[in-house]
Amino acid sequence: MLRAPRSFPYSLLLPATIVMLAVVLFPLGYSFWLAFRNMSLYHFRTHEFVGLDNFQLVLTEPIFWTLLGKSLVWTGVNVFFHVALGVLLAILLSGPVRGKTILRTMLVLPWAMPQYISALTWRGMFNFEYGAINLILKQWFHLPPVPWLSDPTWAFIAPILTNIWLGFPFMMVVALGGLTSIPVELYEAADLDGANGWEKFTNVTLPSLMPVLVPSILLGTIWTFNNTLVVWLVSNGGQPADATHILVTYIYKVAFTYSRYSYAAAFSVVVFLMLLGFVVYVMRRTSSQERTA
Amino acid sequence: MFRSLPFRASHLIACLMLCLVLAPGCAPKKSATGPAKIVIWSQMDPEERARFEKNIAAYQAAHPGVTIENVPYDTENLRQQFQTAAAGGGGPQLIFGPSDQVGPLSLLELIRPLDETMPKGFFDRFVPQALDTLNGHLWAAPDQVGNHLLLCYNKKLVPVPPANATEFLEMAKKLTKDGVYGFAMNVNEPYWLAPFLAGYDGWVFAADGKPSLDTPAMRDALGYVALLKSKATGIMPAECDYQIAETLFLEGKAAMIVNGPWSWAAYRKGGVDLGIAPLWVLPNGKHAMPMIASKGYSISVNVPKEQLDAVIDFVTFCTSPEAELRDAVALGVLPSHKDAWNAPEITSDPTLKISQDAFTMGRRMPVVPEMRVVWDVMRPGLQKVMNGSMSPADAAKEMQAAAEQQIAGMKR
Repeated sequence: MLRAPRSFPYSLLLPATIVMLAVVLFPLGYSFWLAFRNMSLYHFRTHEFVGLDNFQLVLTEPIFWTLLGKSLVWTGVNVFFHVALGVLLAILLSGPVRGKTILRTMLVLPWAMPQYISALTWRGMFNFEYGAINLILKQWFHLPPVPWLSDPTWAFIAPILTNIWLGFPFMMVVALGGLTSIPVELYEAADLDGANGWEKFTNVTLPSLMPVLVPSILLGTIWTFNNTLVVWLVSNGGQPADATHILVTYIYKVAFTYSRYSYAAAFSVVVFLMLLGFVVYVMRRTSSQERTA
Repeated sequence: MFRSLPFRASHLIACLMLCLVLAPGCAPKKSATGPAKIVIWSQMDPEERARFEKNIAAYQAAHPGVTIENVPYDTENLRQQFQTAAAGGGGPQLIFGPSDQVGPLSLLELIRPLDETMPKGFFDRFVPQALDTLNGHLWAAPDQVGNHLLLCYNKKLVPVPPANATEFLEMAKKLTKDGVYGFAMNVNEPYWLAPFLAGYDGWVFAADGKPSLDTPAMRDALGYVALLKSKATGIMPAECDYQIAETLFLEGKAAMIVNGPWSWAAYRKGGVDLGIAPLWVLPNGKHAMPMIASKGYSISVNVPKEQLDAVIDFVTFCTSPEAELRDAVALGVLPSHKDAWNAPEITSDPTLKISQDAFTMGRRMPVVPEMRVVWDVMRPGLQKVMNGSMSPADAAKEMQAAAEQQIAGMKR
């Protein structure tokens, strides 16, 4: 009987590799290629190489920097609240609470709902006159109604609130998993040292959660940065007056409304390189910390 | 375990897995071999879709072996999805929607020039207002004309519709009480601004084809709609988009609304005692003039030759006077076929007659690709004026600058 050659594992990997090449690497490479050409509505079949023109246009137009600022605020605020709420609820749920299973199921619900249904429901709830949120503000708290969808600032806060609601269950589930793996002895030792609740949280819980939280935060940051759906649906395509766009929704708009494919591709490449830089930086930092530890 | 597998068997497994991955992509296209199946992507309101499904059923009954599949989209998605699918060599055989979609789709060479595709003399049957020529070709076969905005009113609240701006305001103010608004309109969409722009002698393009948005007419039109929407006038809800206006009208909480023929069937079904009238005369003494357009079928460039006759036959059926009249009577839309346009079912129906008269007052919506950009750059300016964050003059200036920039970007 002949032994299988060394190439056998690679041939098993081949189908998956081909799929990955087709659905990940090819579109990525195509975007890079497109970014150096002038494909648009008027040059759809006859586009040609234009060098760095599109990149120059992207980086010199003020809108890029405005949108970058908004994307950073969008990502930062969302991820912060996802983690803070997620960890807080996980700690509460890991304690002695009645109806824990029901509570946990209810808290995971936002995550289980299809994003577009949640986003459109929230858009309805943000209506000035008939939306649930303004009705609650008015009837329960006697506050004046908020122009959630017509004022540029509030219209940007509206999708942030929606996305916080959508995103915290993921962090909560991750944190719950992390909490169960912390040895009880660590808390007993902290009790012996006379640590209070906050000290136990900062010295035991949080450091023990970091190995599971860091990759989740990294993923969450990329997902949130690239989240087109929530902003697009809650603000109805950047309304009012294109004031609620983040980088990715604007790219979607220039590509599919204005058919400026190459310009949009250059925009996407810039965003991709920024995210790549961020991931490499975080991974290097965490791996160096692990080595130190 | 793998180590013990014989050499040939191991490679056989790997090859089989590879085949499993690649096999779906190698499947023959069904349209090439199976029974004739025509897929159509369409933009239709629910009532219109229900009516269209009946036309499909009638066609299928008369043509056994032919299957028609209708996939509904909204206006924007229809164009975007078709653009992506057809550019990749796929997509449906037919696309049905408003006439302005032919601008980008013809420029991208994704739809066929129908004057060369359909049988000779095919387009002679349509009323001239239904046909839009672009770059010397006709790109769509219309089954209806109109798309024009009119004043829709609830007869229980408004016995006689207002004829001019003064009457309109007085009536709307008087009717605004007890949770009912005198008027509601989608103030977020530039299509609803267009009648007022035209009424003030303005238009979206100048004679040379360049955008003409920074004009006194635009400032007047924006100012007039802002006045209607203002808190001081107090005849409209504080935020009013299409859904809100429609819901209020359906619930009897808005006495008057501006909307098009596509909406009437739903209003009647919802129990509204519906009356329609041309838009009123503006303070400058001229009628607000709605944009008029047709809706029709375009044929994808990807339709293979052997299937073209079946597709042409279906389009001919949908644009026949019988099918158009059925739609017109059921939905309240105006037919594009000359015989149907002059049929007694249309001319003796009071609502359709008013609609026909209002249609003749309208201005044709341009179908050039730049129209898409103009809609899109008008929207932010309009919304800023409506939420009070910008003056009509500044908004008009901003619209013009954005239009010039985006059109230059499209052509770069």
